[in-house]
Amino acid sequence: MTQPASRSVGHYQYEERDRVFLQERINEFEGQVRRRLSGELGEEEFKPLRLMNGVYLQLHAYMLRVAIPYGVLDSRQLHKLADIAAKYDRNYGHFTTRQNIQFNWIALKDVPTILRELAEVDMHAIQTSGNCIRNVTSDEFAGAAKDELMDPRIHAEIVRQWSTLHPEFTFLPRKFKIAISGSPEDRVAARFHDIGLLARPGENGPLFRLFVGGGLGRTPVVGRELFDSVKEEDLIATLEAVLRVYNAFGRRDNLYKARIKILVQTIGLEAFRTAVEEELGRMDCAAYRLTPEHVAQIRARFALPDLKAPADAADVLEQHKKADPAFARWVASNTHPHQDEGHVCAVISLKTPGDIPGDVTVEQMHGLADLSERLSFGEVRVTHLQNLVFGHVRKDQLHELWQGLKALGLAAPNVGLISDIVSCPGLDYCNLANARSLPLAQKLGARFGDAALQAEIGTLSIHMSGCINACGHHHVGNIGLLGVDKRGAETYQILLGGDAGEQAAIGGILGPSFAEDEAVDAVARIVEFYLGQRQKGETFSAMLKRCGLKAFKEVAYETV
Amino acid sequence: MKRLSRPGEGEILLLTASRLLDGRIVWLGEGDHWHESITGAIRFTYEDAGPALERALAEAGQKEVVSVYEVVARDTQPPEPVTTREAIRAHGPSVHPDFSYDHAPVREKESAL
Repeated sequence: MTQPASRSVGHYQYEERDRVFLQERINEFEGQVRRRLSGELGEEEFKPLRLMNGVYLQLHAYMLRVAIPYGVLDSRQLHKLADIAAKYDRNYGHFTTRQNIQFNWIALKDVPTILRELAEVDMHAIQTSGNCIRNVTSDEFAGAAKDELMDPRIHAEIVRQWSTLHPEFTFLPRKFKIAISGSPEDRVAARFHDIGLLARPGENGPLFRLFVGGGLGRTPVVGRELFDSVKEEDLIATLEAVLRVYNAFGRRDNLYKARIKILVQTIGLEAFRTAVEEELGRMDCAAYRLTPEHVAQIRARFALPDLKAPADAADVLEQHKKADPAFARWVASNTHPHQDEGHVCAVISLKTPGDIPGDVTVEQMHGLADLSERLSFGEVRVTHLQNLVFGHVRKDQLHELWQGLKALGLAAPNVGLISDIVSCPGLDYCNLANARSLPLAQKLGARFGDAALQAEIGTLSIHMSGCINACGHHHVGNIGLLGVDKRGAETYQILLGGDAGEQAAIGGILGPSFAEDEAVDAVARIVEFYLGQRQKGETFSAMLKRCGLKAFKEVAYETV
Repeated sequence: MKRLSRPGEGEILLLTASRLLDGRIVWLGEGDHWHESITGAIRFTYEDAGPALERALAEAGQKEVVSVYEVVARDTQPPEPVTTREAIRAHGPSVHPDFSYDHAPVREKESAL
């Protein structure tokens, strides 16, 4: 049964035709599941069909990955995800680095029913897997951050609609990931996407800086600027041309060389740009022109928050901070300045030291949905760093939010600090992993869990992956950890110096891999060395550049 | 057909798969039935495992299992997979032993059948 959409802020409001489309899609997949269970379809035929609907076969069960376009949920959607976790999973959900949520214990026979339940709240699992354009990610502070140049969600939605079931791009050589930001601070890792878009306002409308060929995985590559200023009206035509060139020339004979980054590296950026321009010359670009009217239509389906705060909201916040040092510490690490002086963006850490990064329980999901209704216009955002954001919290109500989060066990004051660890599910759940990542993330979280120690260390990121596919983005952590199988034993390689932002950099490998506990000790020695040798205000990356990898290597291996 | 893993001293081979309906890990037991617990798994020598695997692969559709392959295990009671990956499959995620099928609430066990 389709329920009418509430006028929640943050994401595109479905039209009736969107809901009809979802029902038709579910009917189709339900038939495919039925034919698979009856034996009419073999696994080889069925696998690409289930993947296109977000269904993987993992270590213990099927895994369902649900799309959260540009990471924005409303409270009824979060309640629904909690209901699904309670009914079909083991009372948990796991937020991913692609701003999606995964359920790890799903039965294939239940998937069509789950998809119908998701459709009740305008959600689906389409294109969360397979060789197609995946969920478009965006800035977690979109439409709220003080430093924002332009709200990227409108164009993220336009890209989502363009890419959903695009007939030419359903069977690409390999998966394709697009991110879009509208901030001068790259919070979406734009240079590590197949296409990264940085939007800004221009004199005659929005302009888009377009990076191409970035990515992590087996061959980490920093994306390169293909165009500096794509006009809004040309945005979809340009994306179409890039995808056409990739679809035509990307390799299909070798899984490991099939991403667009390999094509761009192989033929060179200039040749790739020429190919895109030639494709644009051949295309009927008028058919792809993004008109101001079209953009306005999409924009109109985003509700805006009514940002009214009492005149003394900021004063009240200061009083709360003075009265409660623990709250003040949380405010310092877990908030971001808002465009409106009376509001703030609050980041909810899903990295309570010792817990599993990105995991939330059913109780927490319901609790967060309730809190968002009361304190942030019923809107919850998922970050690609596996945390959540309430985008618009009144400053005078921030203490109330913090108390609510404490009651849910979600008030860790560690966003951007060392225990805010990004991690893939690793060998505990994933069919592809070589080593477990979650136990090591838990140990590191516990080791550095002390709030005062974290505050002393300051901004420092740890990213961890259980295999070379790099779902935990280990290449871009200041400290990266990669699980490797060494003759049947789980070991961990350490990388240093990664950066996903404006100063995009791929971490350098320190040396031979460590056993799990040795890796924890090595990271501790690296951090201790940083604390002892850093100059005033020097970041970890800056000190690494000054001292060199060799100095850190000597410290890391000194007792091994 | 791919080459089988070769068991070492004191090790045997088991055959495992995922159940089509719910993805649950199963082990080939007596009478060519797929069992939910590793305790019911048949122990194969390297020589016997090849033909058994071929037969299991051929019958996978009929038996409603997918992804059939062999696992090296220590010849203990019950057999214990040698690799971490297979131990995790047999016993559940190391970070959540309470999530394993052995510990799952009864309703989940029933729904999986």
